Amino acid sequence: MVTPESVKTGIAAGLACEHVEVVGDGQHFQALIVSGEFAGRSRVQRHQLVYAALGERMREEIHALSMRTLTPEEWKSGG
Amino acid sequence: MIAMDIKQRIKEQVTAHPVVLYMKGTPQFPQCGFSALALQVLDACGVQDLFTVNVLADADIRQGIKEYANWPTIPQLYVKGEFVGGSDIMREMYQSGELQRLIQEAKQQA
Repeated sequence: MVTPESVKTGIAAGLACEHVEVVGDGQHFQALIVSGEFAGRSRVQRHQLVYAALGERMREEIHALSMRTLTPEEWKSGG
Repeated sequence: MIAMDIKQRIKEQVTAHPVVLYMKGTPQFPQCGFSALALQVLDACGVQDLFTVNVLADADIRQGIKEYANWPTIPQLYVKGEFVGGSDIMREMYQSGELQRLIQEAKQQA
């Protein structure tokens, strides 16, 4: 079973993040991800960065990952 | 790698219709909460001529669509042939009004 903590670790290992929160039930997860890497990138490109960080796990272990992707500036201003 | 004929089929689908949703199930019977949410958002945007593709009914498309947009999850929304996003992005764009504008533009040009 996939834990929210392991999803969080996976994201943080593949993407330089200022802040990551993940909650979930083992199959469906919700994440808040704050990263300077998101600056100047579209929503689609931001999500693709997170998917790339999770790699094969996204295909095989994680059924669904709902996410909010913010830059540190967006996060500070209340996202 | 995605087979060329699958890629070609997807390209034809997304360019033949102004608004295309790849989803699990059908508009009458969505089989995943995220696909159901995507339908609700499109309905709220006033989309009338929505074209949907049930990926559960076609294993080639189900795999191919993930590679087509470099996007590992379903649903996926396309407007005028361009990949817009999954259900999170659709909801955010609806809340900010961007999705309504995009749909309206697609309607006027259709």
